[in-house]
Amino acid sequence: MEKAPAAPHPDFDLLRPIEDPGKNFYYIVAVLLVIILYTGYVYIRQLYHGLGVTGMAQPVTWGFYIINFVFFIGISHAGTLISAILRLSKAEWRRPITRMAEVITAIVLAIGGLHPIIDLGRPDRMLHLFYNGRLQSPLLWDITSITAYFTASTVYLYIPMIPDIAILRDRGVKPRWLYEFLSWGWQGTEQQHKVLDRAMNILMVMVIPIAISVHTIISYIFAMTVQPGWHSTIFGPYFVVGAIFSGIAAILVLMIVFRKVFHLERYLKLIHFNYLSVLLLIMSLLWFYFTFSEYLTGYYGHEPNEMRVFWYKFTGAFAPYFWTMVTCNFLLPLILLSNRKTRTIPGILIASISVIIGMWLERLIIVVPSLANPRLPYPTGIYIPSATEWTLFIGGVSVFILGYMMFARFFPVISVWEIQEGRQESAKAVTERIASYMPDPQPPSAKR
Amino acid sequence: MNSKLIDRLQILSISLIWLLFTGIAVWILNLIKESLRLHDAPDASLGISLVAIPVFFTLSSVLTYVFIGLRKGRKKDVES
Repeated sequence: MEKAPAAPHPDFDLLRPIEDPGKNFYYIVAVLLVIILYTGYVYIRQLYHGLGVTGMAQPVTWGFYIINFVFFIGISHAGTLISAILRLSKAEWRRPITRMAEVITAIVLAIGGLHPIIDLGRPDRMLHLFYNGRLQSPLLWDITSITAYFTASTVYLYIPMIPDIAILRDRGVKPRWLYEFLSWGWQGTEQQHKVLDRAMNILMVMVIPIAISVHTIISYIFAMTVQPGWHSTIFGPYFVVGAIFSGIAAILVLMIVFRKVFHLERYLKLIHFNYLSVLLLIMSLLWFYFTFSEYLTGYYGHEPNEMRVFWYKFTGAFAPYFWTMVTCNFLLPLILLSNRKTRTIPGILIASISVIIGMWLERLIIVVPSLANPRLPYPTGIYIPSATEWTLFIGGVSVFILGYMMFARFFPVISVWEIQEGRQESAKAVTERIASYMPDPQPPSAKR
Repeated sequence: MNSKLIDRLQILSISLIWLLFTGIAVWILNLIKESLRLHDAPDASLGISLVAIPVFFTLSSVLTYVFIGLRKGRKKDVES
């Protein structure tokens, strides 16, 4: 590929993946495309033969697709929510992290949002929603809130990218028409900066309640039923906490990968990992608290149907998954992240991967046991995911990796202009802010 | 690519965003109409729409504000 005639840039490390992606990029893209094409074929086969090709049957009518739907939407909380909170709290260390996080949201939401459609034997019937949808159904709340979150997070990702797109346009990077089209005439004037700041302020306030509402509403799909193990008042905050938890883990894994692959050690420093891993540890403790509260109230009530699901998870067929989940989400992060000696990049990577696995298991443990133990006098159900479901899961993960790689191929994953702005203005702004927290000096008249 | 064409494409993209969000609002209003016709818990439908419709229109308004603001803030426009 022809290289763009570009002048040296102080943050060239951030532009290198765009201007010189290297051969490996194309090899990985080719492998991912093969996997995705095969996944497409498997899905078409499912459409042709129906949901009989999956492991779902009576009474377990929700399986991998709904588990992955909840899991992917949970990961999406990585981005916009965390980025908005960090921006709103003026955490200066956020600068190299926010965009990476925001991209996760946009890609993962698109993948997660497709899963309920994959779960339908007749996806064409989705069209009925347009004519006969019932807005009082939590399923329709989901569609509305996910659409709102997807559009809000895409806008929230795009607007702070405009100055960086303009940098690429001015450097003559190809395809130039794309950067010219997306840069919206950005020239970096004071007035343009004011417009951008104002829009960002509105968006970051707006995006936080939308993000929280999305995962709360997803929990309502379960909690609004009177099913044992699902009918819980704390499911909303429990899901939100879990989503933020898995989201932070996903950001950390991506940060470590990008740091290694693109040699971004200058930007993604140990302090960034340290701060985020402490946040991960706090979320791990919060997750444990919610899990403990959730199961303790169920156990204390000792309602027979509830207890059947309870023992199915604690000592029954799902016990290995349940205790692996507790180990992955609580014990491992607690051991690795609470000790300064193990809170290193490899330790954080292990803890983050462990949390991602643990949170996927949590979704499995929420969805399947309640369905496998119906309240009617039926035998306990069984669910073994088929090769079709596994393929579609791997396909979903591949779409995520491909989506992220394509983004990194065309746009900087770390905001160049925000880094530059941080260098020029942050130190002064932080000094002024700290001075404003401190007690005012005593007036000379009050001195003794 | 011709800058006039890019200008037109940018205006078209903003118009399409408005079209999409207006479409979503019309869909929600249609569902409310259906729930009223069928006496099928219209209060819940109204509650959802009161939150959802303003969210979509605020988003498109912010995008339009940025689009127009950046155009007005260009050097030649500021100087003239």
